[in-house]
Amino acid sequence: MCRSIRCVRFATVVLIAVSVSACAAFETRETKLQAVKTVGIISAVGDEITFAKGGLTGLNNRSQSYPIASWGLDDLIVQQATTALNGRFQVQQVSYNRAAFTAIKDSPVAPVNLVRSDPFKKLIQTEVSPQGLDAYIVITKAKSSFGGGARKVEGIGFITYGTVMESYHQVHALYEIRVFDGKTFDVIEKMAAPPLDDEGQVRIAGPTRMIDESFATSVGNPAENEKLRAAIADLVARSLSTTLSDMHLADVR
Amino acid sequence: MVGVGGEYKPDFEGANRSMLSPVPIFSMRRAGSTEQFRGPRDSASIAVIDFGDLRAGPAGKFVSSRKASSYSELNGLGDVKTTVELGGFVEYYPVDWFRTRGELRQGIGGHHGVVADLSADVIVPVIQRLTLSAGPRFTWESTKATSPYFGIDAVQAMATGLPAFDAKGGAHSVGAGAQVSYRINPQWEVHAYVEYERLLGDAAKSPLVTLRGSPNQTTVGIGASYAFDIKIR
Repeated sequence: MCRSIRCVRFATVVLIAVSVSACAAFETRETKLQAVKTVGIISAVGDEITFAKGGLTGLNNRSQSYPIASWGLDDLIVQQATTALNGRFQVQQVSYNRAAFTAIKDSPVAPVNLVRSDPFKKLIQTEVSPQGLDAYIVITKAKSSFGGGARKVEGIGFITYGTVMESYHQVHALYEIRVFDGKTFDVIEKMAAPPLDDEGQVRIAGPTRMIDESFATSVGNPAENEKLRAAIADLVARSLSTTLSDMHLADVR
Repeated sequence: MVGVGGEYKPDFEGANRSMLSPVPIFSMRRAGSTEQFRGPRDSASIAVIDFGDLRAGPAGKFVSSRKASSYSELNGLGDVKTTVELGGFVEYYPVDWFRTRGELRQGIGGHHGVVADLSADVIVPVIQRLTLSAGPRFTWESTKATSPYFGIDAVQAMATGLPAFDAKGGAHSVGAGAQVSYRINPQWEVHAYVEYERLLGDAAKSPLVTLRGSPNQTTVGIGASYAFDIKIR
């Protein structure tokens, strides 16, 4: 009897300790965000578009990438994010080395990513101007596998997924948002953009939408495909407001 | 992901009778990531190295105990305790629709041997929601992994009436499997599979199999699963 009472007490203490530490972690993040007044926004997502094939493919299913910097997607992202965040934060324009942010890749060895510090932390200190803002919001490419296979896609892309009966075409805009403390450069918050409600047929962990074949590369240089550019710009615009809202950075839904 | 299924499989490895038993389905993946192809015989595994088409990491399998008192064919044979097999896996996708996978596991508990599983699967999306897959299987086991299940020592021979048998390791089984899965919506999925294996080597030659069982082992399963997100902020 006495032993069971001790066990109940011990379990209660553990439960309270876990709850308090969870609350403390949440409060820390919330407290840090509440203290933020000035922010700078960095976007390094829209340098290229990748065309990938999945499902039933030929033996050569290598992805192809094309430069789309001329679309100005990163400028669009910064502009949209600025509009969304302006109510809560004072957004200041920052200059940065976009190529340096684009070049950062996750290691294929998962423990390496866990052990090393966030690779963007150093870049904010060395490649962003001005320094001294309360926080920096960094928007970079995210990765996802698609369709149940092992292949991965990243950033802005166009997927053709073949099945026995038909083929599907989807565009995707995979990105993640980090909020860095402007003093310590620690990550306050991090989130990958989630799928939208009207997600496509091919499962992919991020914003995506079905499109028809008329968007495909066969019609010429993708960078000059206005229809494709508009579809992706729409996807970015819709998903960005949702993601910022999910992160409690903006109330724009 | 959680779910439930049923599996009609041999009472024990080498048995010629089968039994239907419930199978819980449980798996976790990182929030936002998509589910990847999984074969019915795959051990629980985590890819810590992931190049997309090449993945590798630790793998583990739980092998239930075999109690001699549970089945008349085993009366007189010793119990084999529950085994946990720990090791690693490597899988390679030369193309999106073809997976090859190898596992190497060391047994702890009921057996202390080494088990190697090799498999290949052609994965055919018929429509986006309906996927068929099928391919060959092969298993190799060391003597220490084979002997506790298929060896018969002098005392057991006296108790069972079976001839004594010194089971050695080697090629253990060869077979094939097929699976069909249908995604009803982003949350719900149903699946069915059949796995056949033919015991080889000393597993097939064991008197337990030749006199009281069968080298032909077939497993049929069905299941339904529900996927959901838990956000931990």
